[in-house]
Amino acid sequence: MSTVPTPDIEKELAKLPPAVLESYKAALPLMESSFNAEELLLWAKEGVAIATQTVRSWESAVEYHKVGPQVSKALAFPSFMQWARCGTYLSQDSPTLAVAFFHSSPSIVGNLRPQYIPRWAGLGRSLYKGTWKSSTLAAKFFEVSPDLIRSLPFWDVEVFVSLIEALSYKSYDVAVECLALGKDVLPAMGREREAFLSMTRSLAEGSWREVKTCLELAPRTLQQLEDAQTGRFLKLGERLAKMGLRDTARFLADGTQALAQVTPSAQGHILDLSELLISVAPEAVPAFLKSLENVLGRITLNQLDTWFQQGAQLLKENRESGIAFFKVESNTSEALLETLSSSLELERVKGVIRLYCRALSGSPIEVMNTKELVRKNIGWVDEDTASTDGTKVFLPPVVDHYLSKDENFAWFKVVSTHQVGHLEFGSFQFQFEKPAALFENRRIALEQQRGIAVPEQAVEPMAAEHAEAASEGQTQSFTDIGRFLHLFDNRKLAFDLFTVLEDCRLDYRVRVEYPGIRTAAEKVQIEARKGRPNIEELPLQEALVELLLHMSLEQFTDLPVPVEHREVAEMLARILHTLRNESANVEDTSEATLRAYELISRLQNEEQPEDQWEPEDLDDPGEFSEEDYQNLVDKLQAGQEEAGDQGEGEPYDSPEPVDYRGDFKPEMVQLLSKLQSDKNQQGDGPQLTKEQLEQLLQESAELELDAEQGDANQNMSQFAQNLMKEAGVPPPNAQPGQGYGPQLHDDDQGGELEAKEPRTYVYDEWDFRAGDYKPRWCIVKEKTLEEGEHSFYNESLRNYSSLLAHIKRQFELIMPESFRKIYRLIDGEDVDLNAALEAVADLRMGVSPDEKIYWRRNKIQRDVAVVFLLDMSASTAEAIDEGRHTTDDRDAPDDPVEYMVWLRRRREGLVRRHYKRIIDLEKESIALLIQALESIGDTYGIYGFSGYGRENVEFYVIKDIAESFGEKIKRRIDKITPLHATRMGAAIRHAITKLENQDATTKIFFLISDGRPQDRGYSREGVEKEYAVHDTHMALLEAKRKDIIPFCLTVDKAGHDYLKAMCGDMGYEVLGDIWALPERLPMLYRKLTF
Amino acid sequence: MVEAVGPEFKEYAIEEFLVRREPYYRPVGDEVELFTAAYHQHIPVLLKGPTGCGKTRFVEYMAWKLGRPVTTIRRNDQQELREGEVRVPLVTIACHEDLTASDLVGRYLLDAEGTRWIDGPMTRAVKTGAILYLDEVVEARKDTTVLIHPLTDHRRILPVEKRGTIIEADDRFLLCISYNPHYQSALKDLKQSTRQRFISVEFNYPPREIEAEIIAKESGCSPAQADALSKFGEKVRNLREHGLQEGASTRLLIYAGRLMTQGIPARRACQVAIVWTLTDEPELQRSVEEVASSIFE
Repeated sequence: MSTVPTPDIEKELAKLPPAVLESYKAALPLMESSFNAEELLLWAKEGVAIATQTVRSWESAVEYHKVGPQVSKALAFPSFMQWARCGTYLSQDSPTLAVAFFHSSPSIVGNLRPQYIPRWAGLGRSLYKGTWKSSTLAAKFFEVSPDLIRSLPFWDVEVFVSLIEALSYKSYDVAVECLALGKDVLPAMGREREAFLSMTRSLAEGSWREVKTCLELAPRTLQQLEDAQTGRFLKLGERLAKMGLRDTARFLADGTQALAQVTPSAQGHILDLSELLISVAPEAVPAFLKSLENVLGRITLNQLDTWFQQGAQLLKENRESGIAFFKVESNTSEALLETLSSSLELERVKGVIRLYCRALSGSPIEVMNTKELVRKNIGWVDEDTASTDGTKVFLPPVVDHYLSKDENFAWFKVVSTHQVGHLEFGSFQFQFEKPAALFENRRIALEQQRGIAVPEQAVEPMAAEHAEAASEGQTQSFTDIGRFLHLFDNRKLAFDLFTVLEDCRLDYRVRVEYPGIRTAAEKVQIEARKGRPNIEELPLQEALVELLLHMSLEQFTDLPVPVEHREVAEMLARILHTLRNESANVEDTSEATLRAYELISRLQNEEQPEDQWEPEDLDDPGEFSEEDYQNLVDKLQAGQEEAGDQGEGEPYDSPEPVDYRGDFKPEMVQLLSKLQSDKNQQGDGPQLTKEQLEQLLQESAELELDAEQGDANQNMSQFAQNLMKEAGVPPPNAQPGQGYGPQLHDDDQGGELEAKEPRTYVYDEWDFRAGDYKPRWCIVKEKTLEEGEHSFYNESLRNYSSLLAHIKRQFELIMPESFRKIYRLIDGEDVDLNAALEAVADLRMGVSPDEKIYWRRNKIQRDVAVVFLLDMSASTAEAIDEGRHTTDDRDAPDDPVEYMVWLRRRREGLVRRHYKRIIDLEKESIALLIQALESIGDTYGIYGFSGYGRENVEFYVIKDIAESFGEKIKRRIDKITPLHATRMGAAIRHAITKLENQDATTKIFFLISDGRPQDRGYSREGVEKEYAVHDTHMALLEAKRKDIIPFCLTVDKAGHDYLKAMCGDMGYEVLGDIWALPERLPMLYRKLTF
Repeated sequence: MVEAVGPEFKEYAIEEFLVRREPYYRPVGDEVELFTAAYHQHIPVLLKGPTGCGKTRFVEYMAWKLGRPVTTIRRNDQQELREGEVRVPLVTIACHEDLTASDLVGRYLLDAEGTRWIDGPMTRAVKTGAILYLDEVVEARKDTTVLIHPLTDHRRILPVEKRGTIIEADDRFLLCISYNPHYQSALKDLKQSTRQRFISVEFNYPPREIEAEIIAKESGCSPAQADALSKFGEKVRNLREHGLQEGASTRLLIYAGRLMTQGIPARRACQVAIVWTLTDEPELQRSVEEVASSIFE
């Protein structure tokens, strides 16, 4: 029992209204359990102090007594007294405040650190301005405090109170309402709360009325946004508010609505754009966000950039019209949207077009963006023109020629049909010595004739070049096309003629073979004709080429023909008409070229007077006859000789290219395929050197090089190198299969290692010279790969959806096997009625019956465990398509428009990388594989490895063999990146331990790599590559001894030489075409296990 | 009097079914000569090829052709047959995974009096000297090989285990099996010991011109339409391995042609007969339809 505090206290209290004493007496026994006598006295005294502050403060004292017992349980005595004293001060100012303070305290003190209590009391005090209304507000604050403090960090409460205080200067009513709203709204917010408070805080100055609306709107709107973006969005609102924008609430509503329309990553982009706008014209931001919903309904996110860019430009020039633009209240804006919305992006239809092209051509054609081709820098320069390199069809990224998507798609179709036509109808199959189908063959004769003619004309510079070329003999013509074009002095003219005539032949074939697209093709042709120059205005040679071009575009009537050379024009028409035949082949085109060339080259390239032109119909010029032709040539020759030397005429210029026909580069294509085939039959015949290639390119009529000579030389060298890369020929000075890992150097020193950290393991390494293991030589560090976005995984599946379906089907085919009923068993689930009847019949017949009369479900199930080990070495960063482009993140331009461009590039770089790296394909393949594996339920683990040095072999867990597949794994796949070197042996040994513990009947170890194993010191004396190969071989052998089936798949084309040694009789495959990896990997696995 | 108009059908005992009317068959290579030679030399024939390329039709045609007394067949007794007497019945059995040996050979049945032996189709074919055609033979259960082996080597016998007898095959008997190498998994491959008892005739979709001829003949559509259809078929077959499991069979092309002769527009006919039959995948469907829309106006 403790001592009762002095009766003085009670005496004091008795002076006050009786409720005080009553409450004191009620509390006292309860307090005794928490405090000792001394403390109790202090408590009681403080009560008296509170009660005697002002006339009405006895009410506070009652409340103080009432809550005391509860509060005392949560607070130590010093804190308790601090708390009590806070109440005393409050009651000094306003007893109402103190009552509210004490009243909320029991539910507060448990949630608030004691040292914050005075600050909390201070917050309430700060709201009190001595007026009745302010005391209500402050009291209200104490009332809602428990809710706020329980769920908000204290400093957020402080910010919120300062907001309320600021509001209270404007209107107490609003402040009270906001306080109440805040209590409900704020706790529900996440990380964005801080930003939200900061935004509303800035609103309180200028447009305080909106704070309430914002609070009302917030919970509904903000939850539609991606967490990460909400903060930025609110910041934006804050900046706008600070700049004096009215109607922030509206902005909040419109903005969230707009952002809710798009994917999380796109939200970020839109905020990028908005932030950009703010710096130009803040008032445009709300307009932009408001129209966004409408705009995005019409165009895609990529197109939005284009639209935005134009708007930003406009804003800079004229603020008013810029804002109208973003409000979509201007014609410019509307018109642009119109165009953009009907335009068609290649990305969207790529899949369909690819299959379409494959169907037509019968070869595994890839469809790609023209940008990729230009980036390769192997001779193609135009980004907007379609083309083909023989295995891929390149199409422009966007088509917006027409006002409807269907028409634009039809354009894609016409263009790709034409490109595939080159393959289908054999443009690149040209063989110099193959006879033409319709013309007589003059090529070989001409070549011989020229070969003889060379020495006689050796004085002329042009011919001198030929002499040189001829002296090199056969080697100078690496391609048949090249050899053909060598027949002509004016190779440019010859090549242009060849192009026009070949395109004419193709378009005709397409017309006949594919009548379904005739309408679309005609439309495109008519349009192509519209932009052509006037024939009459061109110098004669060019005019005649243009004439042929018009005819090739199906215009035969009303063509202007030079009166003087009517015969030539008619002969040309006959030549062209001969090609408009289903049996015409590319050799016919060459013969036609030869003839057209003979005619045109004999004419002066000079402009003809206007009256020298007459319209003529050339739709039926009659049959071509060699005899008439020869007569005409002779006549021209005679005329030429008669006229004597009249000067050169104007230099010949190539005709404007026809858009839809794209870039036709047969020589390049033949060269590429020649390089490739050369490489495949190594050592067989003379190989093309880089110098020869350069010379060849220099002579090619297909490359337009307007640059300075020196520049051109450099370009050539670059081209040549790129071409060789493209063809997969190792560039000079490069070791095949060697990535760019760290430099090899001697690291034979040092001794055994020890694994000290957790998740590290020590392995021996095989030294083939010593014929023994180096004990405890490598340390493998196992790490779980960090998690990235799961979008990579999902996107891969989307991109390969058709392949995936195929793979899945292939895998699912196996499934029924394991559930099939088997009949005619000696024992089983049930009697097989058929067999039983037979047995009875047999019994009756006196024949010995079959005793197998049961059936059961086949219990033989797949029991496969597999570990995939993925090479994550630096060399996997190698782009599959050459010409890596790097963006420098540091120098973002200041100009908004330029910034836009920069931003977009960067984004493309991050989101849709234009070039693919080996690792990307590896990742995609893994994604597909997982799908397949999941569908059959095999046990599997996926690991990656890399590292540097023997003490640092990194082993990354992508999916541990015991782990089940889920979001986590998807995220980890995203994080597979090229790292360091490849010390395969140790990694394999570690991977094997994963399999060892599995008790599956079939265990498979599957290695996917991109080159030979190599690492710092992964060799003896630092030079012998065999060391690494032998160690790896040994590691695989160890696997085999443990009843694990090893298999190696490499995408290194030079892999054959060392894989044989590395894998021995164990399975391996060298994948020639890296693009086939996603398809091949699951199939290989399937083959391996069934 | 109202005459009852019932369904008209003909019923044959399995071994009595004769191909009486000449089936249309357009030889692509020397398969007719090969088969004829094999028939006379008692060499079993294996027909390989994708679905709908004409394997079954070929066998029917051969049964008809060999049955016709164009060439006289020498019996063991060197006696020449009179015209009209050579009959080569055709017994076709579509194999499925529950087809067992006794389904082929025969079994004892219980009836009121006791038990009765019923010959299976193989036994009947062996006895009557028919061409026995086992369609998709790999689908059948493994125990059928027990029957196929003795029948297909020099012995030409059918052991009937249940009755403890052996039946020597009639001189005209020939076993012919078919097999589609494409959708077999390794699990369902034909064993070498089985394969090597046959000569193998490979079938494929006929070349474009011949296929056009076949389509025109079979469907009655115009030569131009047939030509376009065969072109379409060729293009679609290019998509095998690129998502399509099987190319469009000649049979499907003929269906499309038939629809077209009934007035269905070409593109629509291709869509229902080919595109939608081949795949359920939207992107692939779209691609194939684009090919169709390029070829057909």
